[in-house]
Amino acid sequence: MSEQRDAVVEIQGGAFGYGGAPVLTGVTFAVQPGEAVALIGPNGAGKSTLLAGILGLAQHRAERFRVPTGKGEIGTLSQSSAIDAAFPVTLEQVVAMGRTPRLGLRWPGSGDRAVVADALAAVGLTEHRRTRFGDLSGGQRQRGLLARALASEPRLLLLDEPFNGLDQPSRDALIETIRTLKARGVALLITTHDLELARAVCDRTLLVNQRQIAFDDTDCVLTLEQVEAAFASHVMEIDGHTLATTEHHAAEFPEHRHPFGDDQLGEPAGERDEAR
Amino acid sequence: MTAALLGQAQLVGHAQLVDPFTPFAAPFLGRPLLLLLALAVAAGTVGVLVHLRRLEFSTDGLTHAVFPGLAIGAALGGTAGLLPGAIGAALAAAVVLALISRRGQPRDTAVAIVLTTFFSFGVVLVSLSRGSGGSISDFFFGRLLTITWGDLGVALTLIAIAVALIVVTARQQLFAAFDAAGARRAGLPVLALEVVGTVAIALVVVAASASVGTLLALAVVIVPAAAARALTRSLPTAIALSIAFGAVTGWMGLWLVVQLAQSGVDAAPGATVALTMIAGYLVALGVGALRGRRAAGTAAIAVDGGAAR
Amino acid sequence: MGLDFTALDFFQLAMLEVVLAGALAGVVGVLVVLRERAFFTMSLTHATFPGAVAAAILGVSIPLGAAIAAVALIGVAVGIGRIRSQGPAVASGVMLTAGFALGAFLQSVTPLAIDVESFLVGQVLAVTGSDIALTALVLTAALAVWALAGRHLIFSSVDEAGYRRAGLAPWLPETLALAVIAGTVVAIMPVVGAILGVALIVAPAAAARLLVRDWRWMLVLAPAIGVASGVLGLWASRWLDVAAGGAIALVAAAAYGLAWLVGSLRARPAGAARVASAEQRDPAAHATIEKRHP
Repeated sequence: MSEQRDAVVEIQGGAFGYGGAPVLTGVTFAVQPGEAVALIGPNGAGKSTLLAGILGLAQHRAERFRVPTGKGEIGTLSQSSAIDAAFPVTLEQVVAMGRTPRLGLRWPGSGDRAVVADALAAVGLTEHRRTRFGDLSGGQRQRGLLARALASEPRLLLLDEPFNGLDQPSRDALIETIRTLKARGVALLITTHDLELARAVCDRTLLVNQRQIAFDDTDCVLTLEQVEAAFASHVMEIDGHTLATTEHHAAEFPEHRHPFGDDQLGEPAGERDEAR
Repeated sequence: MTAALLGQAQLVGHAQLVDPFTPFAAPFLGRPLLLLLALAVAAGTVGVLVHLRRLEFSTDGLTHAVFPGLAIGAALGGTAGLLPGAIGAALAAAVVLALISRRGQPRDTAVAIVLTTFFSFGVVLVSLSRGSGGSISDFFFGRLLTITWGDLGVALTLIAIAVALIVVTARQQLFAAFDAAGARRAGLPVLALEVVGTVAIALVVVAASASVGTLLALAVVIVPAAAARALTRSLPTAIALSIAFGAVTGWMGLWLVVQLAQSGVDAAPGATVALTMIAGYLVALGVGALRGRRAAGTAAIAVDGGAAR
Repeated sequence: MGLDFTALDFFQLAMLEVVLAGALAGVVGVLVVLRERAFFTMSLTHATFPGAVAAAILGVSIPLGAAIAAVALIGVAVGIGRIRSQGPAVASGVMLTAGFALGAFLQSVTPLAIDVESFLVGQVLAVTGSDIALTALVLTAALAVWALAGRHLIFSSVDEAGYRRAGLAPWLPETLALAVIAGTVVAIMPVVGAILGVALIVAPAAAARLLVRDWRWMLVLAPAIGVASGVLGLWASRWLDVAAGGAIALVAAAAYGLAWLVGSLRARPAGAARVASAEQRDPAAHATIEKRHP
């Protein structure tokens, strides 16, 4: 297939882990430019490990492993918001930080400033560019950090639970931004518990639980049987959003954080065996 | 604020009929002034980084870590060995401090152990070699008024290198200080940045401790940036204010030393300058608190106005 | 005090003081390490400096002057720490610089010859009976605080927000901790001096933390390491003819290094066993896992 040739991410028979037994195995999927792929699975399924593996922060082995490796080619948005609200930076300065991987030690030129302005516009926060970052609302900060990821002009964006804890306007604005990015040809990989949102913006879905369960068009993957098989639990509806819950009741804790790679480390090897 | 301080200083000067500028034409005062101005530039770059990354304790650790280097340098090469020894010890400590910040042990405890180990090593070395009696005092309190052109040249070179290291990596340093995890995911070399930042602090510490003492090194790196943060929430303004604060308080402190000397009080120059900086810091805190209260007042008025509309 | 200090020679006096100071530093060090107050302790040692100099000028009790200066500067530092743009690290840094500068300034403007070096590195061999009595007194007070309020101190150290939610006032254990730390600094400063005093407080407790998991065992182990460091350091300083304060601090640091080594050796076999069992269950995991960036 010709589209396989220019895939941004292409992984065949991949396994991901942190040195010991792999956390996630049997991963085969591809993300095309302009395509959004939802990454769905219960807590501890290995989603964050997969994202960390793509970033080179976790180890992998695979028959075929193609990800962007250039400086700034992958943008990330994570849930970890261990950011000091009193830090003296404006939103614009935060977004400009995202440009540093591309800049190296070079000073930014007018082109770089245009990219930063463009990233701010893409998340709809241009009028707040001189606001101190700590003075923004939670949803605005999340969008600001997305703009920071965009400022490196990534070919691939990794969004880890981007909708968690967002109010409705920020949620709508984020969906709108994701659509804009897809139209520009950016590839996206989005982890989420919110199946409705996956259906709304993601073309394809990768369902995992310590191994890959399915990868296909979102509507084919997100059948009740498949999701129940992956979550070993049930699916419920909250505020009009279909949410997959787990034994950990992740959906009840929208603040629940798992920065890339942190939540898989302490997992006992025995649990992984049961799944296999 | 700086303008107010300046005016105040001139007022006092005129009241005593003492010109605040002419004394500095004499080389023995011109050299320290030049050094203090250079340290003010370091305060606006290295000092602001220390403040943003909360490296105050690491900085204190570096000032003490220089000590065994001085002892070894003095034992091996006499006076000529002091500077290489200090630079070697400071760089070693900088790398150790940058590395342990990544380990599990709480940073606070780890810095304390590195600091005290380096220092007690120096104390034992000095007690073994004897002879260098006044060196501990010199090391801590410096000899601001007796520095030579040679000392000054070395200090200015080291400060210039430190400032250059920070200016060149400024953007990445800011990113790593703001969100280290995000910077790592974006592919920035966070550990290398940490090492570069700590080495820059170490160079400033060496430059100062070889001439004006560790006390002043610590004051210059910590106090101006903290004062600037009390006055502004904007980063570029904070950098400019730190430099201005360091320059003005340094100049005022030196002028105070001259005044005290003329009235027969032989005050330690390094300590006097450091105390002037502390006094300026307390003034800045007061001004910042007043402005904060006024800002809160106007915000309340704005809300009231909005409700009336 | 039933002990007749005059019957002891200077080395025996020093040994007695070092044993008491090591125990005190260990007991209080647990508090410093668990609450992450090492920088605060460091700056406190410098904050006592101007008080000690002023007391020497006025001819009053030096520990009293040191304690008064410490309380005054703690007050300023707590105030600065509450300001959002400043924070506790800046507060400690300013307290340290201010104390140091003020002490040096006072010392330079007085005709009295005050030995700055003994402030920094201590003079354990010149210890007096009243120094020993003060150390014993503070040690008793610290033990009483642990016995009466230990659970509160631990709870508020581990989870201050939880402590507040439980309806308890976090300022109470905080004040208690600050008072005990300040008392310790004032009491052991004559022995090992300002900077090396921090070594004796932090290193044994940090070593104990690496070796045991229960804080109650830390309270046993840390003073034991502190006493051992003091005794060994003092003997070493006599045999090798080096500075006593430096030798004591280096022994304490070596104890920490040893604890770190033991801790990492103990962790390794467990980790290796885990990897081995994982490999048995999953032969595929044996295959080398390569990194994206070689």
